[in-house]
Amino acid sequence: MRMRGARGEGGGTYAHFTQNAVGVSRELIVDGLYRARGARFVELSSALPLTVQKIMSYHHKHSGDNDYRSGENRNKGPRWSHCRKRDADGNVRRSRDESETNTSDRRGSNRPECFTTPESAGPVSRIKDWAEEVENDEMRTNVRRDIERYRRRILTGDVAQRERKASSGSSDSQDSRGSPVPGDIETDEAVLMRRQKQINYGKNTLAYDRYIKEVPKHLRKPGVHPRTPNKFKKYSRRSWDQQIKLWKVKLHAWDPPAEEGSDLQAVDLGEVMDFELDVECSVDPEIEASSSKTNTSDFELSGTPHKMMKIDEAEMA
Amino acid sequence: MEDSSKEEYKIHSFEPETQKLLKTALKDPGLVDLETVCNIIVDQSLKDQVFSKEAGRMCFTIVQAEAKQNNSSVFRRHLLNRLQQEFKSREEMRKRSMQEWVCYVSFICNTFDYLKVNNIPMMVLVQPVYDCLIRLAQPDALKNEEEVDCLVLQLHRIGDQLEKVNGQRMDELFFLLRDGFLLQNDLSSLARLLLLEILEFRAGGWSLSDTAQKYYYSELQD
Repeated sequence: MRMRGARGEGGGTYAHFTQNAVGVSRELIVDGLYRARGARFVELSSALPLTVQKIMSYHHKHSGDNDYRSGENRNKGPRWSHCRKRDADGNVRRSRDESETNTSDRRGSNRPECFTTPESAGPVSRIKDWAEEVENDEMRTNVRRDIERYRRRILTGDVAQRERKASSGSSDSQDSRGSPVPGDIETDEAVLMRRQKQINYGKNTLAYDRYIKEVPKHLRKPGVHPRTPNKFKKYSRRSWDQQIKLWKVKLHAWDPPAEEGSDLQAVDLGEVMDFELDVECSVDPEIEASSSKTNTSDFELSGTPHKMMKIDEAEMA
Repeated sequence: MEDSSKEEYKIHSFEPETQKLLKTALKDPGLVDLETVCNIIVDQSLKDQVFSKEAGRMCFTIVQAEAKQNNSSVFRRHLLNRLQQEFKSREEMRKRSMQEWVCYVSFICNTFDYLKVNNIPMMVLVQPVYDCLIRLAQPDALKNEEEVDCLVLQLHRIGDQLEKVNGQRMDELFFLLRDGFLLQNDLSSLARLLLLEILEFRAGGWSLSDTAQKYYYSELQD
């Protein structure tokens, strides 16, 4: 567009130019805006180290988010990714992944199906990190797919059937309290995305891998084995975050045995208790020793601090 | 995609060790360091124009295999990071090596073409791909047949997809192409031919009429 004006040789061009003057000038403005944003992006991204950018984008995205937990969650990133997270090849993940759970995508959450162009209205400029953006997009489409599935399941009464089975023994307790009505499920995409990220974070651990391998689904007992919180149910932010915390604490029982990086394991678990529960539950020595224990169910029944279980029950109700 | 024979992915030009690594990555990505694999593929793409035109398919296979096996996307993350990193310095790259630049455009377009997420194109690549193509449509690039050829090939392959997700920028691109075709005196006749064909191609809804097909391609067959 600009080239045409700038070059401007030949009478034909000028005629053409004036003919389209209105359209051109509008496009020039839009284009100009876009360029300006693009330039800012390049400037920013080349000037700052990646971590700083992430923090900035985090702050930016969460500027309207005054939940006290957001800050707390951010602080957890490094610790969780330290030694617990694994890459596909089973290696310890690098620090770049730390911010994954923390940067929920404001802009993305209210994007229409067809996706917007950078020219569209909205305070957020161009994408900072392609990989992260794609992961967000993927999660968003997955969440949309899940919600459709969940709706179908409710409509077809599948849920009800499952609950009947559940009451006879094996499966679960949390879900069966108050069966969900189609109108009563969480549909806010931003919330679902945030919850999904928290869940993914917990699932992307060696402990989770070991757990699902060691305890098949039909053998899991409510209140004994960790159960992933149901992201489609309406919960307060506080309640949800607490469920996630308790779930993750429970999952720690399946952390790899002490032989592999033993001291890290013990220290880390202690920290988790302090930071995550934020209650004065003295760390049971049994937990410290848990990394070498073999019978996980026994441990769960006897070794889990009573107080914790209480919180659990209260929260789940 | 189903058949991962080496012929299909054109990996026979690699060292035997590397071929083995790539084959493993395609079948069992959990066993290899996917960052290394990613760098091998990108490096080769930036050197080898033939490879760059099909490397996206190979990447897609690895991404799928990894998702299925580990439910993770390490390879894709490395790939996108690398693409973004190269994208940031594309102008220097173009100055440094025309070949590398053309290979880069070919590779990023091919990745856009093949690597879908939940069957949707990766939106994050739309603007960068446009940025590359619009760079190829600037007057200095239109003088260079290598770049025109690359531009036209990419539009043949992904023009319709790109237009669907952002028609406005496609218009912007085609304004440049029309201008170049019409006003730029320093174009070779081959460049003009290629431009004319792509203008017709888009005007015909991303396909050529039979007569146009005959006009542009019958000479080649004789």
